[in-house]
Amino acid sequence: MKAHWTLKSGAALVLATLLAGSAVAQQTSYKFGMAMPLTGGQATYGNDQVKAAQWAVEEINKKGGINGKPLEMIVMDTQADPQVGIQAVNRMISVDKVAVFVTAWSGVVKAVAPIANDNKVVELSVGANSPDISQLGDYVYTTFPLADVDIRAVAGYSAKEMGKKKAAVLFINNETGLGSATVYRDTFKKAGGEVVAYEAYDQKATDFTGPLLKIRAANPDIIHLQGLVAESPQVIAQARQLGITVPITSYSGIYNQKLIEQLGAAAENVIATSLAPGVEDSPLVKDYVDRWVKEVGRAPNGLPYTQYLYDTPALVAAVFTALDKKGIAPTGENFRKEMLAIKTFDLPLTGKVTFSEDHTVNKPVYLVEVKNGKWTKKAVVGQ
Amino acid sequence: MDYLYSILILIGLFIILASSFDLVIGHCGLISIAHPIFYAIGAYVSAMLAKHNIMPIPLAMLSGGVVAFVASALVAVPALRVSGDYLLIASIGFQLGLIELAKHIHEIGGAGGLTNIPSFLIRDYGRESYVVLVLVLAVLTVLFIKWLTQGPYGRMMAAMRDDELAFSMLGRNAIWVKVSVFGIGSGIAGIAGGLYAHYFRFLEPDQFGLLQSSAVLTMVVVGGLRTAWGPVIGALVLQLMPQMITFFNLPPSVLGPLQGLIFTGLVLVFMFKRPQGLLAAPVIWTGKTPEKRGA
Amino acid sequence: MFDVAVVSQILWTSFATSSYFVLFAVAFALVLKVNKVFNFAQAGVMTCGFYAAYVAVRLLEWSGFAGLLAGIAGALLMSFILEHFGFAVLRQRKASPMFVFIFTLIVSQFISYAIMLVFGTWPTTIFASMFWPVTLVGGIAVSAWDVPAVAATLAVLIALWVFLRFTRYGQFMLAVADNADLAELYGIQKNKVLMISMLMAGVIVAIGMFLYGSRAQVQAAAATELMLFAVASTILGGIGNIWGAAVAAIILGIVQNSSILFIPSAWQGFLLYAFLFFAIVLFPRGFRLPERANKLKRTIRAPDALVTKQEG
Repeated sequence: MKAHWTLKSGAALVLATLLAGSAVAQQTSYKFGMAMPLTGGQATYGNDQVKAAQWAVEEINKKGGINGKPLEMIVMDTQADPQVGIQAVNRMISVDKVAVFVTAWSGVVKAVAPIANDNKVVELSVGANSPDISQLGDYVYTTFPLADVDIRAVAGYSAKEMGKKKAAVLFINNETGLGSATVYRDTFKKAGGEVVAYEAYDQKATDFTGPLLKIRAANPDIIHLQGLVAESPQVIAQARQLGITVPITSYSGIYNQKLIEQLGAAAENVIATSLAPGVEDSPLVKDYVDRWVKEVGRAPNGLPYTQYLYDTPALVAAVFTALDKKGIAPTGENFRKEMLAIKTFDLPLTGKVTFSEDHTVNKPVYLVEVKNGKWTKKAVVGQ
Repeated sequence: MDYLYSILILIGLFIILASSFDLVIGHCGLISIAHPIFYAIGAYVSAMLAKHNIMPIPLAMLSGGVVAFVASALVAVPALRVSGDYLLIASIGFQLGLIELAKHIHEIGGAGGLTNIPSFLIRDYGRESYVVLVLVLAVLTVLFIKWLTQGPYGRMMAAMRDDELAFSMLGRNAIWVKVSVFGIGSGIAGIAGGLYAHYFRFLEPDQFGLLQSSAVLTMVVVGGLRTAWGPVIGALVLQLMPQMITFFNLPPSVLGPLQGLIFTGLVLVFMFKRPQGLLAAPVIWTGKTPEKRGA
Repeated sequence: MFDVAVVSQILWTSFATSSYFVLFAVAFALVLKVNKVFNFAQAGVMTCGFYAAYVAVRLLEWSGFAGLLAGIAGALLMSFILEHFGFAVLRQRKASPMFVFIFTLIVSQFISYAIMLVFGTWPTTIFASMFWPVTLVGGIAVSAWDVPAVAATLAVLIALWVFLRFTRYGQFMLAVADNADLAELYGIQKNKVLMISMLMAGVIVAIGMFLYGSRAQVQAAAATELMLFAVASTILGGIGNIWGAAVAAIILGIVQNSSILFIPSAWQGFLLYAFLFFAIVLFPRGFRLPERANKLKRTIRAPDALVTKQEG
C-alpha cells in the first residue's frame, strides 16, 4: 500500500544516510555548516549571503585549502524559522558532524544556541544583531556587531556632527524595530537632543499616513526609520509625498541601488549605516562588487552582510589550518580554543575582528548618504 | 543521533496533534483550523509556569492542557450558538488575534520569542527518555481516541454528524457535544505543546500561525479522516518527506524553493490520487455495538 | 492632532489605499458566494497576476497598459487551471469542503515556491519607480496614483454590478449561488458558470495587484498577507454579500489608519483583530446593506387592514 511503501523507504533512507555519514571519520576534508534562509521571506538575503560564502570557499580551495585538504561547506535551509533552523543544525551536527556552523537571523540564532552548547559545537552568528546574542552561552559567538553599535553611531552623529536638535523615530512594530528604536532614542537624548515623536507601524501595514502625519506635526529636524527592506522604501516615499523634507536615517537594510531607482528624487538626503567598508573605502570591496555585477548582473542584496559572509570561511579556514598544523582533531571544543587563542583575525572585506570575553565585537560604522542620485560616503564613526 | 531524536519527537508530537485534530474535524465534523493556537497556549503556559518555578514540569504540562481546554470552550460556546460554520471564523480570529497579542507581551518574550525554558528529563535520564515519553504518549493518545470514538460516545458523534436535526429531535444537545469534543481535542493539543516547549526550549508566536494549521490539516486529511491510524500515517509521511528531500543533494541556489515545490507537489499528487485520504474511513460508523462489547 | 487637515489627509489616503483591498475582498466574496469555496488559492492567482505584469513592464519593457493586460492574462490563466484541473475535479469526486480548503492552501504554497524558483525573492515593484508625484488639493496631498486607483476600483465595481444584475450569465451566477443543483435542473450549465465566476475573480484581482504593485513592493509570499484583509472584510460584510465585503474593506482600511488618532501607533495592528472580534460578536451575520426584502414587504398589504375595512 502506498503509505507503507512511503514509510519503509523513508526509514531506509534516513538510516542509510546516517550510516554513510558516520563512515567519514578521517580528516580528508574540513567541514563547516551554513544554516541560512534559502526559502521564505528572508531568502532574498540568505541566498546572496550563501553565494558570497561559496565564492570564498572556492577561492580558499583554489589556493590550496587547508594545508592541501579541501574546505567543505554544508548548506541547509532554515527559512529564518526557529523550528526549521533547529532541524537543520541538528542534521549538520549529527549527520555531517561539523565542528562549527554559521547562522543568522536572531530567532534562529537563539533557538539553536542550546544545541550548540549541549553538543560543544561552535555557533558563529554572522549578521543577526539582537543584543541577547552575547548571552547565549559559551559556544555562541558573533562576528557581526550587535544591535546597539550602528544605531548608537548614527544617533550620536546626528546630534553632534550634524547638529540636529529634534529627532523623530519611526519603527516597525517587531522586536528589532522596538529594540533599535529605544537605543536611538536613548542615545539621541544623551547627546543633548530631544525626541519629539516616537511612532510605530504595524508589520502588515501598507499605508503609513497616520504615523507620518503625527511626525510631521511634531516638526523634527531629522527622522530615524527602523523598518524592513520590504516596506522602508514606501515609508520614505510617503513621507516625501506628505511634504516631509528633512533627512531620513536608517540602518543598512535600505543601503542598496534599488532604493534610488524606486524613489528617484525622493531618495535625496537619505542616510544609511553600514557595518562594512564600501567600494570607496577598499579596492577589495570594489573588486567584489564588480564580480557580482559581472557574474550575477546586479549588486548583492544587503551588500555589507554578504561581505561578512564572504569573510567567514576565511576565518574558519584560518582556525582549521592552525589545528591541522598542530595535528589537533577539529572538534568543536578544539575549534573554540584555537579561535580564542588566535583572537584577532584580519579579514579581506570587513577588516579586523577580535573575539572578546563578553562575546561581542566592535566595528567602525560607515555612514552613506544619497546625494545627486548616488550613494556617497558621508562619515566613519568609531574607528 | 540528536537529529534522529528530534525527528522522532516531532513525529510523536504531530501524531498527537493530528489525532486530536481528527477528533475535532473528522469525528465531530466541526470546521476549525485553529488547532495550533491551543498547542501554543499549552506550550506557553507550561513554559512560564516552569520558568517561574510555580510547579514541577509534569504538572505544568497538564496545566497547559487544562488552560487550552478552557480557552477552547470560551471560543466554542459563543461561536456555536450562532452556527457551526461560525466556529471557523471565530477560531481563525482567535488564533491570529492571540498571536498578535502575544507579540506585544514582553513577559512571555514578545515577538522575539521565549528563551531558556527549563528542560525536562534530559539532564537526568538522557535524550532517549524524552523520545520514549513522547512516543508512548502518542500511542496512548491514538488508543484513547480510538476507544472514545468506537464506544457509545463515538456513535453519538456519528449520529450528530450524519443528521444534526434528527439528533436534536432525539433530545440530544448538539452544542454541548461539540463544545466538549472541541475541548478534549484542544486540551490534548495543549499537553503536546508542553512536551514541545520543554524539549526545544524556545517558543515564538509566529510558529503557531496559519502555516502550522495548514500542516496539521494536511496530515489529517491526507492520512485519512476518522480513522485511527490515518492521522498517524499523515504525520509520518508529512514529517519524513521533507527530510528525505533534503538528502537529494540539490545545488543551494535552487535548494530551498525546489524542496518546497517537490513537497507541495507530492501532497497535491496524493490528494488527487486518493481524495478520501490514504486510509479511507468507513461511511457508516463501525464501532463496538453492545453485542460486540458482550453486553 | 484632531485638526481638519490631518483628519482629511488620513481619510483620503486610507480611502485611496483601500482600493486594492476592496478588489481583493470582492473577488474572494464572489468566489465564496458562487463557488462556495474559501478560495485561499486566490493568493496564487494574485501572485501570477503581479508577476505577469512585472515581466511585461520590466523585462519586456512594454507600456503600463500592456502590462495591465499581461497581468490580467496571467491571472486568467491561473484561474482557469485552478478551476478546470482543480475545483472541477474535486467537485466531481464529491470532495468534502475541508479537503477543497486544504487544496487551496497547498496550491497557494506550490505557486509561491514556483515563483520563488523563477523570480527569486527580492521584493520588487511593477514600475521601476514607486514614487508618484503629489498635488495639493486644499491642503491634502493627493498622489498621482490615488485618483486612478479609486477610479479603476469604482469602474470594476460598477461593471460587476451591471453584469450580475443585467446580463444572463450574471443572473445564472446568482442562481447557482443560491442553489446549484436546482439551477442545473433549469438548464443552467453549472460548470460553465463556476468557471466564469473564477475567471472574473481572476480579472478583478489582477487589476488589484497591478494597483498594489505600482505603489508597494511584492515578493512571492506577499499575496498571502493581503488575503487576510480580504477574508476579514468578507466575513464582516456577511458571507454571500459581495457589496458588504467591499464596504467592509473600505471601513477596515479607514479604521486601521485613523486609529492613530486615538491609540498609540504600536497597537494599530492589534486593533484590526479587536475590531474584527467585536464585529463578529455583535454582528454575527455580518453587517448587511438593506436588501430587496423591503420591496417584497410593500406588495402585500397587512391582512388586518383588509379585515377591519370589510367589517367597516
